[in-house]
Amino acid sequence: MPTVSFHKRFFAFMSHFLVSHTNFIMAVAHHNFLSLGQQCTLTGLKPTACHLRGEHLSWSMWPAFSPVKNTFRNPSVNNRDAPVVSKKCELHKPRAKSKADMEQEEDVDVDLSKLNDEELDALFNEYGEVVRSDGESSSSLEVDEDAHSLAFAVALAEAAYEVKAAEIKVLHVKPLVYWTRFFVIATAFSRPQIDAMGKRMRDIAEERFKKIPSGDLKPNSWMLLDYGDVVVHIFLPRERTFYNLEEFYGNAAVIGLPFLSQVPR
Amino acid sequence: MIQPQTYLNVADNSGAKKPMCIRILKASNRKYANIGNVIVAVVKEAVSNMPLRKSEIVRAVVVRTCKELKRDNGMIIQFDDNAAVVINQEGNPKGTRVFGPVARESRESNFTKIVSLAPEILQIIINLLFQIENTPINNWND
Repeated sequence: MPTVSFHKRFFAFMSHFLVSHTNFIMAVAHHNFLSLGQQCTLTGLKPTACHLRGEHLSWSMWPAFSPVKNTFRNPSVNNRDAPVVSKKCELHKPRAKSKADMEQEEDVDVDLSKLNDEELDALFNEYGEVVRSDGESSSSLEVDEDAHSLAFAVALAEAAYEVKAAEIKVLHVKPLVYWTRFFVIATAFSRPQIDAMGKRMRDIAEERFKKIPSGDLKPNSWMLLDYGDVVVHIFLPRERTFYNLEEFYGNAAVIGLPFLSQVPR
Repeated sequence: MIQPQTYLNVADNSGAKKPMCIRILKASNRKYANIGNVIVAVVKEAVSNMPLRKSEIVRAVVVRTCKELKRDNGMIIQFDDNAAVVINQEGNPKGTRVFGPVARESRESNFTKIVSLAPEILQIIINLLFQIENTPINNWND
């Protein structure tokens, strides 16, 4: 098998990719791997390394990129969730590297141009690891934000429960979509009830959490309150079965609501 | 850059296939619609056995444009097609699912409903990566 130089291989890959998948270039650029970085378990809301529904992100998925540079960073990344692939970093190690490590990395850089594909693959298999781009501070911040959003979502769900909403569900959709963390889905049986529910939720959000939703607030058969990290959907029963959001987000974890398990007073 | 007489694709399962723009809403003096704008369209082609019929007049939100979209951070986004999602008078989508990538700007123009029905773009990327992995590398030689 002829060995291909990495630059050649990289450009060939890029042209192939551009020609055949132009429509999704945007998707790649747009996402910047925003959702890849962190997956939170509900118990501890702890960040773990890049998991894509159980798939570990590795350069075997993206072979031509792997050996080009020692560290790969999407240039337009503006998000702390973005993963970075580094050859010498492991998850459990602190971010600050020792001098020896740095020197070794430099050595690897120099050697990269001389090695052939197989050697580089072997090198990557030995050392390659996906790590988070930021240190512990950002992950703890992330956990805080998650906990805060969860508390907010549960408070909104409780508000819905107080105005007799049915089938209240709080879904943790952060592992699935990049643009929000929690969905609150509830059913109301009439438009006045939807209005009442929306008003109560808005009041609670404003008083207790100082948040104001975006979007129009006209009476509707599907009311949506967008609080950024928490998105509330209030449906009439017909719309709820029609759009069937729970099935669409079937992989999202359902969060247990404490007030639902209590005995009604 | 959608203007009257532009044929678009439909990015949902409402049953319309080829709507033609006939009016841009909330734009008295604007020539073109961009991502996130509402247009009035007439269905020129429709899927059979679906609620939407040919020559029906509908409202639609533009979700993808061939004309590039610039963001404040310098990112430029451009799609391969012009596509729209059919909505009703209340602003709810007529279909139940949205296909293909959807720009974040739809959410900023208060169409979070469309965004929440849109597929997870992440999944598409994973599929792409697998496709690339399965393509023989030897073909990329030249």
